[in-house]
Amino acid sequence: MKQELLELWAGGRILNFLVLFTLLMSLTAFLLATNTELHLLDPEQTVVVALTSALTFGLFIGLAIGAESISGERERATLEPLLLTPSGNRQLVLGKFLAALSPWPAAMALTLPYMAALSQGHQVLGEAVLWGALSGTLLAGAFVALAMMVSIWSNSSRLSLFVCLLVYAASLIPAQLPTEFLASPGGVLITLLDPVESSDQLLSKVLTSGEPLSQAWPYLASPAIALALALGALFGYAAPRLRLTARG
Amino acid sequence: MFQTRDSGADDRTEILHAEGLRKVYGARTALKNLSFSLQAGRVVGFLGPNGAGKTTSIRILTTILQPSSGHFVVDGISSEHPEAIRRRIGVLPEGLGFPRQLTGFRDLTFYGELFGRASAEARAVADQLLDEVGLKARAQSPIGSYSHGMRQRLGIARALVNDPAVVFFDEPTLGLDPRGQRELLGLIQAVARQRHKGVVLSSHLLSEIEGVCDDVVIMNAGEVVAKGSVVDVIGQGGHDDRIAFRVRVPLPALDAARSLIEALPNVQATAPADDASGWLGVQLVPENGSSDPGPRTVNRILETLIAADVPIAGVDSGASRLEDVFLRLTTETIQ
Repeated sequence: MKQELLELWAGGRILNFLVLFTLLMSLTAFLLATNTELHLLDPEQTVVVALTSALTFGLFIGLAIGAESISGERERATLEPLLLTPSGNRQLVLGKFLAALSPWPAAMALTLPYMAALSQGHQVLGEAVLWGALSGTLLAGAFVALAMMVSIWSNSSRLSLFVCLLVYAASLIPAQLPTEFLASPGGVLITLLDPVESSDQLLSKVLTSGEPLSQAWPYLASPAIALALALGALFGYAAPRLRLTARG
Repeated sequence: MFQTRDSGADDRTEILHAEGLRKVYGARTALKNLSFSLQAGRVVGFLGPNGAGKTTSIRILTTILQPSSGHFVVDGISSEHPEAIRRRIGVLPEGLGFPRQLTGFRDLTFYGELFGRASAEARAVADQLLDEVGLKARAQSPIGSYSHGMRQRLGIARALVNDPAVVFFDEPTLGLDPRGQRELLGLIQAVARQRHKGVVLSSHLLSEIEGVCDDVVIMNAGEVVAKGSVVDVIGQGGHDDRIAFRVRVPLPALDAARSLIEALPNVQATAPADDASGWLGVQLVPENGSSDPGPRTVNRILETLIAADVPIAGVDSGASRLEDVFLRLTTETIQ
């Protein structure tokens, strides 16, 4: 894992993503602070918008790194020497998983000043950090695991990234659906099936509507189940089948 | 070069034994019944044209691929225990890639740690190996700044970080200039002789195999067509009395040269090269029943051409004797 972290951080890849992340967050915060309509939002709502934006952008970083993790090694012809070491496949995948997850805490830390500024001293900030960190970590883990699985079965990073971007885009679709539909039973089901939308709903309900967790918990369960399933599939099924080529 | 190791083992210790290895991909058989053995301190060469099954063989022996049938034993460890085997082998795969931003020293230290060495020990081993392969001065440079030859030498060092019993080199000199090839082959030979490792060298270059290897396995289309010591395999080809010899003349003089040469005794046939280079292949038969084609026949050919005022642009003693065997046993063109 140390090697992976060194390659990703010292190689500048994660830093490039974080610079892009900061730019996007700056733009989001600027719009929230200056746009006439958005300016009418309460501090709680503003913080939630900033937080969901951070989740959306932050997930992309993990997804992109996870999608390249194995297929990229194949393309660079650096996978074979790793497979030739006595480290098991699971150990190899675990190191890459944790390294691909590492940008998320940094992204969350970079989000704090924006949320602090937008909260205007409101007490929602503490809760937002807690729930944002929790749901974001669950989602980031699930997306990195999913991306790595795709990468294990791809010989090219381009293909792997393409498939992952499709999944990412699909996960953002429910957010574009009308609010009335999302409130219907079908909408709730779709929300619960989509961990990203579910997470957004959780933040919205807990931070702006003040719903207790006893009511909002199904929206936390969705990303938690997604993470459990993705980790189970990655380490239980895909990792032992990691081969020099995707076709085995 | 490498420090000489006291292996404490008998020179003739069998370090690798493969029996009936076979690999099938659907309807295609990539490897048929590969059996051979290797002793510590010796180099066995896998020789064959592209697609002969050399890389498949190495990937099976290095546990990257599972054989469809057959088994092998490395340093007493059965192929049923691939993780244990990986601890006892070193590999320089074909077309090996390196993380460009890491230094050679960091890369070797990382692999040392992956093989279970403590950090300090891994660093010491990395330092020593970089010195032995002649990269000490560039140890702290990023691998991205290394030449191809330097990367291959780093690959050799990486293959030795775990002090393996058997080291596999798959087409190690591909893309190297002649000096780089010679230096790398010297290192590979030193791995066997000075470190007392069993070495498997895969190549499609006859000169590499003939110059470096003690034993050879000639493969074609996934099949072993000859094996044994280099001397024995060349001996297997001794039944054919035809000997190759080439002479290069200007193209306008080619026909005249052919006529002159074919009229000489002990000349069986001539054949001009397809590429219009002016090379004329000459098949000789031994003189007076001797197995030696006789430099006298070659001398006579040259004397005849000189006497006829045919300019001689080049002379090639022809194929090496291993090449004779190889050409006879394989149907593919040597690249």
